[in-house]
Amino acid sequence: MSTTVERRVRTVRESLASTLGEAMAADESMVLLGETVRAGGAQGVARGLYERFGPSRVIETPVSENGIFGAALGLALSGFRPVVEIYSADFLLAVANEIVNDIAKWRIQHGQPGAQLPVLIRGCMGATAGLGPEHSQSMEPFFFHSPGLQICVPSTLENAPALLDAALESRQPTLFLEHRKVYELQGSGTPEPRPAAEPGTAEVVRVGTDLTMVAWGWMRTEAEAACATLAEHGVTVELVDPRWIRPFDYATVVNSVAKTGRLLVLEEAFITGGIGAEILARVTEAFPGRALVATRVAMPDVIHPYHAEMERQILPTAADAVHAALRLVRNQDES
Amino acid sequence: MGAPSGDDLLRLYELMVESRAFDDACMDLLAAGEEVPHFHSGAGQEALSIGSVAMLRPTDEIVYTHRGYAHLLAKGVPLATIAADMFYRRGGTNGARGGVMHVSRPDLGVPGREGVFGTRFGLAAGLALAHSLRGDDGVAVCFYGEAAGARGPLYEALNMAVLWNLPVVFVAENNGWSVNSRTEWLFPGGRMSTVWSGFGIPVTEVDGNDLTAVSSATARAVSRARAGGGPSVIEGLTYRLHPHIWWDDASYVPARELQAWWEKDPIPRQRRVLEEEGMAADRLDDVERRARNRVAETIEAVRGAPFVEWDLEVGVEGVR
Repeated sequence: MSTTVERRVRTVRESLASTLGEAMAADESMVLLGETVRAGGAQGVARGLYERFGPSRVIETPVSENGIFGAALGLALSGFRPVVEIYSADFLLAVANEIVNDIAKWRIQHGQPGAQLPVLIRGCMGATAGLGPEHSQSMEPFFFHSPGLQICVPSTLENAPALLDAALESRQPTLFLEHRKVYELQGSGTPEPRPAAEPGTAEVVRVGTDLTMVAWGWMRTEAEAACATLAEHGVTVELVDPRWIRPFDYATVVNSVAKTGRLLVLEEAFITGGIGAEILARVTEAFPGRALVATRVAMPDVIHPYHAEMERQILPTAADAVHAALRLVRNQDES
Repeated sequence: MGAPSGDDLLRLYELMVESRAFDDACMDLLAAGEEVPHFHSGAGQEALSIGSVAMLRPTDEIVYTHRGYAHLLAKGVPLATIAADMFYRRGGTNGARGGVMHVSRPDLGVPGREGVFGTRFGLAAGLALAHSLRGDDGVAVCFYGEAAGARGPLYEALNMAVLWNLPVVFVAENNGWSVNSRTEWLFPGGRMSTVWSGFGIPVTEVDGNDLTAVSSATARAVSRARAGGGPSVIEGLTYRLHPHIWWDDASYVPARELQAWWEKDPIPRQRRVLEEEGMAADRLDDVERRARNRVAETIEAVRGAPFVEWDLEVGVEGVR
């Protein structure tokens, strides 16, 4: 598969579209199916693919999530590599049975633990500007609990194409969750060679000694802003973007905390039962007998308002991360 | 392929007897206080299962039900394999991870079974879509009972199947009951398929205890799908002769009704058909004896075999 990204690529949205197109061109068994994909999909990631590959490779479906995901399982069992677009990741809950009870468990319960089951599920998620409580959620925690699924959340123009390629190449059931704000991110293009992106590998975004910050998806952008502000306060942060929520690269976080002694997880999902809770638990277990200096900044347990300004005031931000980080660093210094 | 005759009919009769013998053996073990994990009797429904699956090629897929021993046998899965999965012995297909509920033999057109009723419809549409995309003439046949048939995914899959003209046949197994609820409490007029005629596809009701009628209906539906004619639905009227599962005393089943269905038991009925066709009684006795002996020997051998070795690490992700 080609690893070049054309120069004209400017946004994550365009880079995902071109990566998907390249992958489909390289393997005729890859088919894209979902709602509105004929006209480019919910977010334009499928733009041009119908014209390029035709109706037998880009399959426009009725709004029938249970039927579509069941069909994706059938296609994968028949030697195809389905890429299924979910119109909005919140709708994955309509088809959680097919994903969690069937696609995730299939190989194990049918005695084929090493077999490939190349079902890639991708779609947009996350809060933008008042899309309301059922088109804004961060969906990774809802599926994090399920063995047998990989979950990947790209965060930059640099890593999105590499992660999509790695997710496709793994040929395992994967949720590839694209944050609506991340689509708009720009950059200089994907570096050559592409960054390592295999399932379960985190990226150390910046090196620091005072605090380990973990953030992914859109929160990585907020975290980078927070790190810059914290640097002005004399706090150097080690920023880790796990990129893969499952399998999760706990080792990279643990190694970082071994150095910094402090941990902050910045997460857009609801705080209760979020990914941050598990990260704190795992890191705590990695340092038996030591009290962990750690906290989470996340969405409070309230539903997303339709009113954009009200929503904006609830979502976790760089400023929230800065306040929490300073509290962690200063409280400990004072104690 | 048309409806079977002659020696083919005899072979199907032997499969029916084999399936019933397996069912009876499981019932006997339960009565003796033995464990028969996840056994759901399929007794009474053999003509519907076998008469339809027998019309398929090895390259066609079935999505079988939780009472699917007859479907599996007719698709060529050896009884020893089914029993090994059921009793968690070596020689099964899933290493005690899925038991008899998740027997799979992809090489025989048995990809597996979903755990919560409903996924099967989209799954069958996907298997059929794969045939369609590859341009081969394979067909997927999806069996379902009252529980799955009441779920929305059937509507979604049927709509997709009609929209894309998929080579898929949905076979409704109307056996009178959904656990302890009557079919007529769940579906208008007690029929699982009448509403699907609204899709403009063939919806055929057959006497599910009549092997020849089932085979003829399935042969028509499958040939139509193979030739690019698209999906269809068959509803077989049959009856669950035994309780839903071991803990069910079936006290809700009216004794007279049950008795009437025992009188319509598809196995003696098929024997009469064969006798009327001139098959000698001693030949039929011989077939029955052979099938029953084979089942008894197989179950004894499987239950005497070592348990499958567990590997608790299978499927456990390494913690990085």
